[in-house]
Amino acid sequence: MDNLLQPLLIGACVGAASGAVGAFILLRRMALVGDALSHVALPGIALALAFKADPFWGVLAPLVLAAVLIWWLEGRTSVPADALVGVLFTSCLAIGVLTIPNTEIIESLFGAFPRLPAGFLAGILLAAAGLMAVSFRFAGKFLLVIVDPDLARTEGIGRGYDLALLLIFSLVVALGVKLVGTLLMGALTIIPAAIGRNLCRSMHVYMLVSALAGGATAVAGVLIADAFSVPPGPSIILLGTAVFLATLVFARRRHHVSRTAGS
Amino acid sequence: MEADTVLEVRSLSVQFGAFAALRDVSFRVRRGEALAIIGPNGAGKTVLFRSLLGLQPHTGEVRWQSGVKVGYVPQKLLVPRDAPITVREFFLLKSPRFWRPPATFTAHFGHELALVGLSESVLPRPLAALSGGEMQRILIAWAMLKHPDVLLLDEPTAGVDIGFEESLYGMIHEVQVQRGTALILISHDLTVVYRYAQNVLCLNKRTTCQGPPALVLNAETLAQTYGEAGYYQHEHGT
Repeated sequence: MDNLLQPLLIGACVGAASGAVGAFILLRRMALVGDALSHVALPGIALALAFKADPFWGVLAPLVLAAVLIWWLEGRTSVPADALVGVLFTSCLAIGVLTIPNTEIIESLFGAFPRLPAGFLAGILLAAAGLMAVSFRFAGKFLLVIVDPDLARTEGIGRGYDLALLLIFSLVVALGVKLVGTLLMGALTIIPAAIGRNLCRSMHVYMLVSALAGGATAVAGVLIADAFSVPPGPSIILLGTAVFLATLVFARRRHHVSRTAGS
Repeated sequence: MEADTVLEVRSLSVQFGAFAALRDVSFRVRRGEALAIIGPNGAGKTVLFRSLLGLQPHTGEVRWQSGVKVGYVPQKLLVPRDAPITVREFFLLKSPRFWRPPATFTAHFGHELALVGLSESVLPRPLAALSGGEMQRILIAWAMLKHPDVLLLDEPTAGVDIGFEESLYGMIHEVQVQRGTALILISHDLTVVYRYAQNVLCLNKRTTCQGPPALVLNAETLAQTYGEAGYYQHEHGT
C-alpha cells in the first residue's frame, strides 16, 4: 500500500486539476489540440534523462512553449494554425521516441508509479491544488473569453486571460506526465470534462463534476493498474472512456428531452 | 466635444491590406439619440462597430465621452450550442464574482429581464435551450445589466421571425425612452429606421447619406448605398 500512496495522491490532485481546466479546454473546442499537447513533452524527457535531471523539469519548458505557441497562432489569421500545431506535436513524439533510451520509453509514453522525494511530491500536490483553485477563481473570466472574445474585450477582459488558461493547462499536463505518460496525459484533461458535459446543464456543476470525475477516474485507474500490474496511464484513460460512454446515454436522453421541450 | 455628445467619430478609416473597408467616416451621437446604420453586406457596418469598441485597428478618431458606459449586443454568441451554461451563469459572467456573486448584482436580473419581456423563470434554463428570439432578448438584457449610456446593437433581429422583430424593436425603443440610453443599431429594415431612429448613417465603405431618415433617405441615396439594383435585392435576395 505504501507504494500506492504517491500515485493515489497525485492521481487525486492532478486528476481533479485536469478535470477543472479541461472543462474550459473542451468548451474552447480544443479537445484534439489539448489531447496532443502532452506529446511535446517527450523530447524534454530525453534531454532531462541525458542530463540526469528529473524528467519533470524537462517537460515543463516545452509544454509552456507549446501553450504560448498555440495562443500566438490563434491571434493570427494568416497562419494555418491547426496544421502547424498538428505537425509540430507529432514530430515531437517522433523525436522523443528516437531519443529516449529503450528502457525508459514505455514509462515515458504510458506513465509509471512514481516514487518521488517527499518535498517533490508535496510540490506537485500543492501546485495541482493551486492551479485548480485559479481555474475556479477565474472561471467567469475564462468562460467569457470562450463565449465571445469581442464581448469579453468590451468588458475589459483581454486575450491575456486566454493565455493564462492555456498556461494553466500546460502546467497541469506537466504535473501529470509522470503518472499518466506523455502519450495519454492530454486525454486526462479532456475525458473528465467530456463526462461532465454529458451530465451537466450548468457551468458551476459542470466544473465541479469534471474535477470530481478527473480525481475519481485517476484514483480508480491507479488501483486497477496496480491490481493487474499494468502502467497507470492506459488504465486511467480506459476507465475514463468507459465512464464517458456510460454517461453518453444520459446526454442523449437529455438532448432528446430538451429538443422536445424546445419544439 | 459638446456636453450632450456621447460619441464623436472623425475621419475613421479601416484598411485590410490593399482593401479599404471604411473610408473617412465621421458622425456623432447625442445622449438618448437612436442612430441607425444601414448598408449592404460588406459595407463595413460590423467593421465600424468593432472600431467603435476598440476591437479593430483604424485611423481617424473615435472619442467616447469620458466615463460613458457602453453595452454591446452581438448578432450571436460563439459558444457551442451544447455548452452547459445557464442564463443565470451567463449574466454572472459580468459579476465581480462568478461563484458567490454579490446580492446587489443578482438583484438586478429580474428588472433587466422584465425590460425585454422575460421573467426570472428563464434564469435556470441552459442557453442552448433558448429559441432565437429568447436568445436575442437575453443578449440585450445582458448588455443592459450595468445600465449603459450607449447600446450598440448589431442587427438584433437577424435570424428572428418578422412578428418578433417588431416587438424586439419596440422593447429596444422602450429602453431608449425609459433610461435615456443612446442607441447605435445596424439594421436592414427601413421601416424600423423610419420609426425608431432620429438619425441614419448610410454606409457603403464611405458615408453615402447622413441625417434624419425622413430628410435624407430617398431613391437616390438608397441607390448610392445599395447600388442601382437597389435595396429590394439586398433585403430579399440573401
